[in-house]
Amino acid sequence: MVSERAAFLTQMVEVLTSTVSFGERLNNMVHLLGRNLKVDLALYFGLDKAKETLALNLSSAGPVPPHLQVEFPMGRGLVGETAESRKAKVVHRHQPGVLAANAPLEKLHPAYHTLAAFPVADDNYLYGVLILVDRGDRPFTPAERQSVELACLMLAGTLRQAIVQEEAKKRIAELSVLFEVGKALSSTMELEVLLERIVSTTAKVITARGAALHITDAATGEPLVSSRYGQIPPECPALPKMQGPTGAGEPPHFEGRSADAKGRMHYCLAVPLTFKGQLHGTLGVYDKFAPSGDFLPFDPENRQLLYTMAGVIVNAIENALTYQKVEDLAEKNERMVKNLTALQEISQALLTTVQEDRLLEILLQGLTLERGLGFDRAVILKVDETTQTLKGAKGARRPAKPADLPNSKALLLAPPEELPINGWEIPLRADQGPLALAVQRKTSYHHTQALPDPVWPAALKDKFTPPEFFVVPLLVKDRATWVTVVDNQASGRPLETEPLHVLQMLATQAALVLENAHLYSTIEANNRELLLIRERMLESDRLAALSSLASGMAHEIRNPLVSIGGFARRIAKLVEFSSPLRGYVEVIQEEVTRLEKLLREILDFTGENLSYYGDHEMAKLIEDTLILVQRDLDANKIKVVKEFAALPRLHCDDRQMKQVFYNLFQNAAQAMPDGGTLTIRTYAVEKPDGLYEAAAISDTGGGIPLEVLHNIFNPFFSTKDYGTGLGLAIAQRIVSRHYGQIEVTNEMGKGVTFIATLPVAKYCLVKDAGHDAVPASALKGPKGGRP
Amino acid sequence: MKKILVADDEVSIRLLYSEELKEEGYDVYLAANGREALEVVDKVPLDLVILDIKMPEMDGIEALRQIKEKRPDLPVVLSTAYGEYKQDFATWASDEYLVKSSDLEDLKSMVKRYLKD
Repeated sequence: MVSERAAFLTQMVEVLTSTVSFGERLNNMVHLLGRNLKVDLALYFGLDKAKETLALNLSSAGPVPPHLQVEFPMGRGLVGETAESRKAKVVHRHQPGVLAANAPLEKLHPAYHTLAAFPVADDNYLYGVLILVDRGDRPFTPAERQSVELACLMLAGTLRQAIVQEEAKKRIAELSVLFEVGKALSSTMELEVLLERIVSTTAKVITARGAALHITDAATGEPLVSSRYGQIPPECPALPKMQGPTGAGEPPHFEGRSADAKGRMHYCLAVPLTFKGQLHGTLGVYDKFAPSGDFLPFDPENRQLLYTMAGVIVNAIENALTYQKVEDLAEKNERMVKNLTALQEISQALLTTVQEDRLLEILLQGLTLERGLGFDRAVILKVDETTQTLKGAKGARRPAKPADLPNSKALLLAPPEELPINGWEIPLRADQGPLALAVQRKTSYHHTQALPDPVWPAALKDKFTPPEFFVVPLLVKDRATWVTVVDNQASGRPLETEPLHVLQMLATQAALVLENAHLYSTIEANNRELLLIRERMLESDRLAALSSLASGMAHEIRNPLVSIGGFARRIAKLVEFSSPLRGYVEVIQEEVTRLEKLLREILDFTGENLSYYGDHEMAKLIEDTLILVQRDLDANKIKVVKEFAALPRLHCDDRQMKQVFYNLFQNAAQAMPDGGTLTIRTYAVEKPDGLYEAAAISDTGGGIPLEVLHNIFNPFFSTKDYGTGLGLAIAQRIVSRHYGQIEVTNEMGKGVTFIATLPVAKYCLVKDAGHDAVPASALKGPKGGRP
Repeated sequence: MKKILVADDEVSIRLLYSEELKEEGYDVYLAANGREALEVVDKVPLDLVILDIKMPEMDGIEALRQIKEKRPDLPVVLSTAYGEYKQDFATWASDEYLVKSSDLEDLKSMVKRYLKD
C-alpha cells in the first residue's frame, strides 16, 4: 500500500514538474488521479474570479464538448460548497439533497454514486475544485484522501506558479507596450509624425482595427490637430469631446457599439486626453480583433491601457506642440532676419549711385533675386504729372540661374534680367485699375485670387494680368512719384506677407533715393548750364575788348581806305595800259580790297551784327550754301556726298548759319586742293536737355596735325598764306550764339570731320518744371528788324 | 542837271565822291556836317542826299530826321564806314543804306536808280 502510494505520488510529481505546457500538465494530472484512484471520472472546475463561478475546465474523459459544459456559482452544489469551505468532502447519491444540488453533474455521469470534492488551494488563494466521480458507493480511505489532498496542494502550487508566470508575462507585455509607446513618443518632435505614431501604436497595443486622436482648442472649440490610423468603421459614432477627470472617482470614458449593414457588431472606446493648457483631446480605438476574426468589445484591461497611454502621450504631445510653436517662431525669425538682411543690403547698394537708371536696376535686382525679396517679376513705373500718366520705367524677372558672383552686394549691382515693358502707359484715372489707384490713393494694394478680377488698363491687357500681385506706391512728401508692382506668376507661389512688408519698408527708402537722384540730376543740369553760361561770359569778356577795338578801328580805317582805294581807281582810269604805273595802281587797289574784306570779317566776328531768327530746315541751308562754294569745289575736283535725315526745323539766323556752313565748306575745299570727297551728313542727337540736330562735314584732306588742332578755333590763327584766320572762329561763335557747339574729330592721314550740333529749340537748356518753356526768340530775339 | 548833296566830314571822301559823281554828269553840292547839309537843303532844290553818319556838330542821323521833316520826298542815302551794326530804327527813315567802299560802282548804280528820269 505504502509503495503504491509512493509510486502514485512520484508519478504525480513527475506529471506536475514535466516541461509540457501548464494546461497539458493539469490534464495529465486529472487523468492520473482518475486512473490511480480507480474512479470513473476526475473533473477539474476552475474559479473565474470575476464571475464568482466555477466552470468545468478538464475531464479525465477527454475534451469537454460544449453541450456538456457545466458551471457552478460559488457556494452552490458540491463544487460551490467545497470552493467556499475549502474543505474536502465526499457525498453519496442517496444522501438527501445531493442529487438535486448536483444535477448538472448527471449530464457527465448519469449513474454516479459517489462524489468526492477536493479544493485546489494554497494558503492564500483558491484556484479550483477537483471532483472524483464513481459509480460505486465507495469510501475514500484516509490514505487515499491524504494522497489526493497532497496532489491538490501540489496542483495549487503549480497553478500559483502558472498564474505568477502569466502575470509576469502580462507585465512584461505591458512594459513592452509602454516601451513601444515611449519609443514612438521620443522618436520625433514633428507633431504630425508623432500623432501618427501614437495612433498606430495605440491600435497595435490594443489589437484594434483602427485608432483616432483629436485635439481641439478648449476656448474656441476649434479643431487643432487630428490623426487616424487603420480602419475606422463608419457605423461608429463620432468620438465625443471629453474633459479630463473632475475630482475623484472613475475617470470618464466613452464606449459605443453599433451594427453594420451585414449585422456585424463594431465597437469603440475613447478616453480623454488631459492637457495642462487650453486644449481638449480624445484618444479612441475601434474594433478589437478576436482570433476568430470577429470583433470584440473592449474590456476594462483595454480601458486601463488606454488611460495609461493617454497619460503618457499628453506630455509628449504638449512638448511637440510647444516645439512646433518654437520652430514656427524660429522659422519666422529666420525669415525676418533674411528679409531684413536683404533690405539692408539693398539699401546699401542703393547708396552706391545717384543715377536714376542705376537705382532702378538695383531695386529690381533686389526685388527679384532669391537672396533679395525673391519675387518672380517686378516692374517700376514712373508717375508723369504733366501728362497724368503712369509710364513703365523698367521691369525685371527673377533669373533662372543667378549670376555667379561672390557676395550679395556684387549680385545686387549686377544688371537684372530685363522684362520688356514696352507700351506700359496707364492714364491716372480711377477707372484704370489698381496701379492708377495706388497712385491716386497713395496706398498699397494686395490682389489675391480670392478677390474679383481687377480692371486691367488697355496697356496691360495680354501683357501683365497675374492672378495675384502687389502694388506699392513710392511716396515722397505725400506724393506718389513711382509705383512698383510685383508678382509670383512664373512659379505660382503665393505672395508671402513678410516680403510684402519688407517691400513696403523698401518703398519708403527707394522713394527717397529716387527723389534724391532726381534732385541731383536737376542740380547737375543747372550746374552744367551755369558752367556753359560762365564759359560764354568769359568768352564774351575776352571778345568784348577786341570787339570795341575792332569796330572803332574799322570806322577809322575804312574812311582812309575808301579814299585811297577810290583815288587809286581814278588814277587807274587815267594811266595808259602800257604804263608801268598801271601795275602799281592795281597793287594799291587789290591791297585796299583785301583790307576792306578783312575789316568786314572782323566786324562779323565781333558780333555786333543783327540776328534774324526764324525756323529753317538745316538741309535747305546747306544746299543754299553749297551753291556759293560750288565753283571752288569744282575747281578742286571735289565730289560731294549728301546724307540728309528728315529733321525738324531749326530756330536760327539763316544768314549766320549759312556763314557757318560756308566757312566749313571753304575749309574743306582748301584742305583738298587735289580733289577728294566732301561728305555732309545730318542727323538728330538726343541729349539730356533736349533734341539737337547735327551736321557732320567730313573731308578727305589728310587731317590736321595735333599741334595745329588745338588752335583751329582761335581768332587770327591760320596755316594758310591767305585768309584772315577767322573762318572757324566765326563759325564757332555763331554756333555758340545759337546754343550749339562745334566739335572736330581728326583722323590723321584721312581727314577731318567738323560736327555742328544745334538745339532744335533754344529752350531745351532753360526748361523749368514749374513754368512753360520760353521760346528762344523771347530770350534773345533780334535787336532790330529788317526794314 | 540832277542835284546831289554829299555830306561827309572827311575831305578826301567829299573830294572822291564829287569827282566820281560829276563825272557821271550830276551837279554835286558838298557839306562837312549835318548843319551845313541842312543849309544846302534849304537853298537848293536837291534831287538826292548822301549822308555820312558820324559827323561833328550834327550827325547824319539827326540830319536825316530834319531833312525828312522838310522834304519828305527827297531820297536820302546813309553812307557809313561802320559795318551794319549801327543800323537801327533811326536809320529806317533813310531810303538806302550803304557801307562805304573804295569800289564806288554800287554807289553809282544806286544813284542812277534814284535819278533815272
